[in-house]
Amino acid sequence: MKSLIPKITVSSIILLTFFMEVWAYKKLKVLEEPPKKHTVKIFRMKFIPDHLTVKKGDTVEWVNKDFYLHDVTDEKNQKWTSKPFGQNEVWSKVVTEDEQYFCNLHKVMKGAITVE
Amino acid sequence: MRKVFSLVVIAMMGVLAFGQETPLMDTEVASVAVVANQIDIDYAQIALEKSNNKEILDFANRMVKDHNAVIAQAVALVKKLGVDPKDNAVSQSLLADAEKTKKKLKRTAKKKFDEAYIDNEVAYHKAVIGAVKNLLIPETENSELKELLSAVVPALEAHLGHAEMVQKNIKG
Repeated sequence: MKSLIPKITVSSIILLTFFMEVWAYKKLKVLEEPPKKHTVKIFRMKFIPDHLTVKKGDTVEWVNKDFYLHDVTDEKNQKWTSKPFGQNEVWSKVVTEDEQYFCNLHKVMKGAITVE
Repeated sequence: MRKVFSLVVIAMMGVLAFGQETPLMDTEVASVAVVANQIDIDYAQIALEKSNNKEILDFANRMVKDHNAVIAQAVALVKKLGVDPKDNAVSQSLLADAEKTKKKLKRTAKKKFDEAYIDNEVAYHKAVIGAVKNLLIPETENSELKELLSAVVPALEAHLGHAEMVQKNIKG
């Protein structure tokens, strides 16, 4: 029985080290993942999708597929805006925090981004 | 506001009167679409002359730009199809009633103008949405014209939502 204790201890340490390495590797991989690009289509007076979940640092691009001008503007206090852009034009933004936005030209058009 | 509803009722009756015997031709539908857009641009021009309210001015400017964009699309489409929008009883009825509304808006005192203009916009957009959805789109045979009309409906609905917001703010 006495001879088993060191063996169990060593095995436990090896196992623990293994799991810690796996955890650290996964964590590192997440950190090293390059930022992604997400696309929101503006079509028939809607942001599609109207809600996105992204990682901090990801880029969101809005593509205007309407023949009307649109913009993408911070809804709360308009601290950022794309300014108006036309059909097939694209505007993008690096997202670092949750955002609620709207089209300041067509105020009923709304969208949101959640940073996970 | 009653005037606007009567306008579209007349237009609807016009379309229905043609009924199955004489449905609107696509060239006539195109004419009605252009006329309906031009009417709202004309209303907006009056607002740009008479109002000092920022919300009204922003809304009116948006109407000019968006409805001009629709007209440009319609003109490009009829040019592509090699046809001309054809004047008809519905577009004439719309124009005749719009003339009366324009006169009324021009006569309205500046103090009461913003409310009169935005009330008319709410009623006009409601009426036009109904007419485009229930009358013009079903009457249209050409798929590209049908597609254009279908693309216009969400814009009209967005305009209506925007007009209702302005209306609520103005009436406090």
